[in-house]
Amino acid sequence: MNPPSQKTKNIFPYLLSLVIISCIAIWLLRLESRSGWHHAGLINLSLGFVLLTAHFSAQVLKAFRLPLISGYIITGILAGPYVSNLLSFEMVDQLRLADSLALSFIALTAGGSLHLASLKTRFRTILLTISFLTFFVFGFIFLFVSILGRHFSLFSDLPTTHITVLAILLGIIAIARSPSSAIAIIKESRAKGTFTETVLGVTVVMDVLIILFFTFAITISKAMMLEGAAIDLRLFSALFIEITASIATGAILGKLIAFYIERAGQDILLFLLFIAFGVTRISLWFSGYMAGTFNIYLHLEPLLICMSAGFFVQNFSRSGSAFMENLDRMALPIFVLFFSLAGASLNLHSLMICWPFAICIILVRIIGIFAGTFLAGKISHDPPAYCRNSWMAYLTQAGVAIGLAQLAGFQFPEIGGRLITVVLAVIAINQLIGPITFKIVLNLVGESDRS
Amino acid sequence: MKIFFAFIITIFLVLGGYHLTFRRLKMPLFARGFYLTGIEFLFLGLLLGPHFLNIINNETVEELAPLTILLLGWIGLLFGFQFEIPKLKRISGKFFTAAAVESVLTFGMVFTGTMYVLPVIGTIPDGIITTTALIMGAAAASTAQTGLALRKPDSFPEHRKTLKLLRYISSIDGLTGILILGFTFLSRDSISNYSLTISERIAGFLIPIFACTGFMILYLLFLIRRKQESELSLVVIGMAIFTSGAAMILNFSPLFANFLLGVCIVNLTRDKERIFNLLVSVEKPVYLLLLIFLGCMLQPPEPWMLLAAALFFLFRTMGKMSGGYIVTCLQKKETRLKPYLGYGLLEQGGLPFAILYDFYQGFPGKTAGQIISIVIISIIFNDFISPIMLNRLLKGRES
Repeated sequence: MNPPSQKTKNIFPYLLSLVIISCIAIWLLRLESRSGWHHAGLINLSLGFVLLTAHFSAQVLKAFRLPLISGYIITGILAGPYVSNLLSFEMVDQLRLADSLALSFIALTAGGSLHLASLKTRFRTILLTISFLTFFVFGFIFLFVSILGRHFSLFSDLPTTHITVLAILLGIIAIARSPSSAIAIIKESRAKGTFTETVLGVTVVMDVLIILFFTFAITISKAMMLEGAAIDLRLFSALFIEITASIATGAILGKLIAFYIERAGQDILLFLLFIAFGVTRISLWFSGYMAGTFNIYLHLEPLLICMSAGFFVQNFSRSGSAFMENLDRMALPIFVLFFSLAGASLNLHSLMICWPFAICIILVRIIGIFAGTFLAGKISHDPPAYCRNSWMAYLTQAGVAIGLAQLAGFQFPEIGGRLITVVLAVIAINQLIGPITFKIVLNLVGESDRS
Repeated sequence: MKIFFAFIITIFLVLGGYHLTFRRLKMPLFARGFYLTGIEFLFLGLLLGPHFLNIINNETVEELAPLTILLLGWIGLLFGFQFEIPKLKRISGKFFTAAAVESVLTFGMVFTGTMYVLPVIGTIPDGIITTTALIMGAAAASTAQTGLALRKPDSFPEHRKTLKLLRYISSIDGLTGILILGFTFLSRDSISNYSLTISERIAGFLIPIFACTGFMILYLLFLIRRKQESELSLVVIGMAIFTSGAAMILNFSPLFANFLLGVCIVNLTRDKERIFNLLVSVEKPVYLLLLIFLGCMLQPPEPWMLLAAALFFLFRTMGKMSGGYIVTCLQKKETRLKPYLGYGLLEQGGLPFAILYDFYQGFPGKTAGQIISIVIISIIFNDFISPIMLNRLLKGRES
């Protein structure tokens, strides 16, 4: 362990850099914007500023054993529209392109981190954990909101049906996890082992299943909210086709990546970056094209495509190590960009409005996660340390949950605004505490490089 | 439809990767010269741009601004890395003199010619004519090394000294162009706004220079400790984007600001080798992407633009030829070189593309697009002519 003076010595250059760069940025951002050239300059300056300061802040926080991504997120919050407005709403919006690129890149990493051999050995535990997590988290949140929801001022005026639908949707959204945060923490901690593989397996599989659960929840909710509405089973077959098509596209892409790595072997990183970019854009275009031309609503999920591609390269080709090596080279800039923008996008306004309810939801969710993981661990005969602590690995939530909340809000405008507010507030807190607890648990089970 | 551009860029990047991978593929010298300059990517950009497929329109370019500015910053940094003082000290002073003479003379010829001829034959607004002439002069001053790179000195033992001199000149003479670019941006307010007071003009010069100095100190602080490769790449990318953004806010050139940053890093940090390797690792794709974006900005040529391109080519060739002649006269005591050394200095490309792109970003509009088109037409013509001229120079014996 570093003595305090050594720690100060380590973080001093970072602190000094932070102070100087912040002063320069504040001075430059206060200059009057006169033209489009200046405006483009502002975006670049803010982006460069966030990249550098997020990295330096994370290094400072690292000295206090906090995860790097907490540093990135906190920097994003501080630079974001709710605090200093160095990154305004408009700028965050303009950087969405970079954001989606980063997310696809992270999905490739997530897929590539899954090893079929170890997944096979942990299959039973993964299955049990998913089942119990889904059951307990959904069940507890549903019961809590159904029974106590109307006692919170935010929902006191809602009729019972609306409260029930809200409970169903919040329960489902609470199951969602953040694969990107999991990958970032695992990479940072250089964690390896059965626990890490299980957490990653649960997170990735959950990312697929959540789409199914959510569609089911939406269908049920529609039947409850709209008179005369029936459950449309065609939705599920469409969903099945979408997921299968996404996984198949990912498999083909994985083969293409492996082919490129084996045959060309140069500029792999650049190739992967452009694949990540292309997948996001082309899947969007494809959905629009199918809807516009053939009236077929087939939505290819870019995250699923990238995860599947990464998985196939890692497990069904000889290029797995070269693939991961190249992804690792770019991982840091990608993580910094993605999580600092995620921090800037966190809705602090929502948190201010409904923090008591959000905190209750978070606590109930934690209890549900604990119950699910503890029971799954016990049945699988996992070591006691796993059973006691693994709940800490499943707290983070991010983009998937926000996306689901927005979809639900669009479907049910009567409760949509309140649902989104609550979900954003919950995510703001989960995204701050989740990475910290995940890092702690990796140390506790002895799978991080520190341990 | 616009979203398709990502797909096409991906395909061409793959082709670029193929092109890099199989660069040992034997092709005729003429074709190789053309292929290595990446001119085909300019045409690709033109195809994707607003005049044909409209896949990369102004809106898309705006959305991709951080990427395009990063490209400029990257090229600026790379160019700055060529100016490592201990290495420069090893080069004889006569090479510097030669590079300075031919590039300044070429700049002078093109600047003067453009200043007086362009307003007569074209439709360039009065307010921008000086800036345009400066930029065209800056783009004309530098020489590309592609043709020279394809000719190994061992294959031309009787021209070893000529080739060595040409190589040195072409690697240094870009400095003139980039300094003029910096000056053009620094003085943009002074040139276009006559109502500015002297103190405002001085402040317009000094603020960017002081800001750049501040950045240098800051970045040296960043690089004070040895970093892991991923950390280093993050810091370099962050620095390039931050510097470019700051430069734009201060009415300054991102290319020039990053060039200064590169000079500073290469001379003052311990990690220069690692940073250089990082920069070089994506140099080609960066350059090719820049060409695609530049291609998007090309304007369909009007008759006066073709005439202007021919005149630009003529002024530049005159500058290079007379510069080459003066250099041979200056070198006479030591080596007898052929008087038409300028034949070997005609090739253009590389840095001028970055200068033109920077110009378009800083002075957007139809005129900038026309100027870019004029210079690029001339560059394409140059790419056809220069290998032939270089071969003529390398015929026979040098002394």
